Amino acid sequence: MRVCIMTGAGSGIGRAVAIQLAEQKLYDHIAILGRNLEALNEVCKKMQPMVQTSVWDIDLNSPQKIPQIVEQIHEKCGSIDCLLNIAGYTDPQPLLTTSLENMEMTYNVNVFAPFLLIRETVKYMKKTGGKILNVASTAGMTPRPGWLSYSSSKAAVISMSQTLTEELSEYGIKVYCVSPGRCATKLRQKLAPNEDPTTIMQPEEVAEVICNLISDRENCLDGQNIVIRKQIKPKG
Amino acid sequence: MITAVILSGGKGVRMKNVVPKQYLLLAGKPMIMHSIERIDSIPQINEIVIVCEKSFESSLELMMKQYNITTPIRFAPAGATRQESVFSGLQKVSNDLVLLHEAARPFVLKNDFLKLINEKEKNVTFGYEIPFTVVKGKEIILDTLSRDELKNIQLPQKFEVKTLLKAHEMAQKNNEKFTEDASMITTYKLADVKIINGNSYNIKITEPIDFLVGEIIYREIIRGRK
Ligand SMILES: NC(=O)c1ccc[n+]([C@@H]2O[C@H](COP(=O)([O-])OP(=O)(O)OC[C@H]3O[C@@H](n4cnc5c(N)ncnc54)[C@H](OP(=O)(O)O)[C@@H]3O)[C@@H](O)[C@H]2O)c1
Repeated sequence: MRVCIMTGAGSGIGRAVAIQLAEQKLYDHIAILGRNLEALNEVCKKMQPMVQTSVWDIDLNSPQKIPQIVEQIHEKCGSIDCLLNIAGYTDPQPLLTTSLENMEMTYNVNVFAPFLLIRETVKYMKKTGGKILNVASTAGMTPRPGWLSYSSSKAAVISMSQTLTEELSEYGIKVYCVSPGRCATKLRQKLAPNEDPTTIMQPEEVAEVICNLISDRENCLDGQNIVIRKQIKPKG
Repeated sequence: MITAVILSGGKGVRMKNVVPKQYLLLAGKPMIMHSIERIDSIPQINEIVIVCEKSFESSLELMMKQYNITTPIRFAPAGATRQESVFSGLQKVSNDLVLLHEAARPFVLKNDFLKLINEKEKNVTFGYEIPFTVVKGKEIILDTLSRDELKNIQLPQKFEVKTLLKAHEMAQKNNEKFTEDASMITTYKLADVKIINGNSYNIKITEPIDFLVGEIIYREIIRGRK
């Protein structure tokens, strides 16, 4: 059985990935981690005719439960072939109003939870090989005043991915990092409340790139920070 | 089934380091873990005996957990000499066959271990061509050895446990010292030891410069070039 673990499946890019993954039948079982059980069960219903799913209740702001959950998933499914770290959090603030709590929550969801998920899945994946994909952001590559916690956490995701590409390649584990530009989701609305979401990239378009990367056809793009951006013509 | 005995008793004198070399990071990973991870992926090996200083057992135990090593591990105390360490390790072996390896040779591929395991013969060693001239003598040359007749012994090796134990007991009785086990078995004419072709990448990390060379071997042979 081919098994994929993912976070962020309840909305936006993650939801679109989950549905495309199911349609393409890349994996037999998709284990979804998250806290918004209503949204996660709703997406599972859409996926279930095509693949097996399971939902694992966890608030990624408290990532300590991750080792136990990964062990249980491995016990239930027998292997872990793919990990998709898609969940992300932001509370954009300038330096002087950024609280330590903001920093901690952003890093818990964006950096520490992916770190723990990678560490725990690699314990199994190193025996079989596999694919890991982390969603960073163009915000982690260029300075964005007012986005201190988010941008710096995404820079960490880019760096972590590059280090792990080298460290895990001995095991046949490929580590991908994608940095989407503006994409019409809840999170983007927080960062740019006045933007018209119909004028920017849609989650399904980012999901398509992600699903291509983790399909068996792709073998040459790991280790680089892959920017996903769409040229959008101004209206009129 | 077969037991892997890993010699890890070195104190790291030549590396001039407080931590013995087999626990130093090589390509980002404690040297000993390179071999153990590969051994752990071989189903025919159902037991690993690590011969080490007692004080390293608890940190090694933790490492086995962290690296999710699932083959059962036993520890044997290192002796004052290599010969004593091998003898100590053999006491913990519960199979009839043993793969003898040393932590300081981290670049043995899974396939190399399998070659030894799949050999019909019970006593087998890797031997590598000697690409240079070897002479006898310390101050002046007494004799030149013909390199066509020589091989450089490389671990890992496979032995029948009862034959190797017998060789060790004879050596103890005769108070004879050996630096290697295949020669012990053949000296006492207990069995033939087959030589199969070794590899240039299977170097022993001994001096600080070997760490630098080792990083290159890791990149080119173990990880694969990009
Ligand atoms: N949209 C963009 O323009 C853009 C650009 C670059 C990168 N990204 C990245 O893309 C990824 C997906 O975000 P999105 O744009 O699709 O936004 P989204 O719709 O808001 O999705 C974020 C997901 O993360 C989950 N999440 C957040 N905090 C969590 C927590 N504490 N515990 C469990 N799950 C949590 C959310 O679940 P809940 O429903 O529980 O909150 C949600 O499913 C994120 O990593 C984001 O940083 C987005």
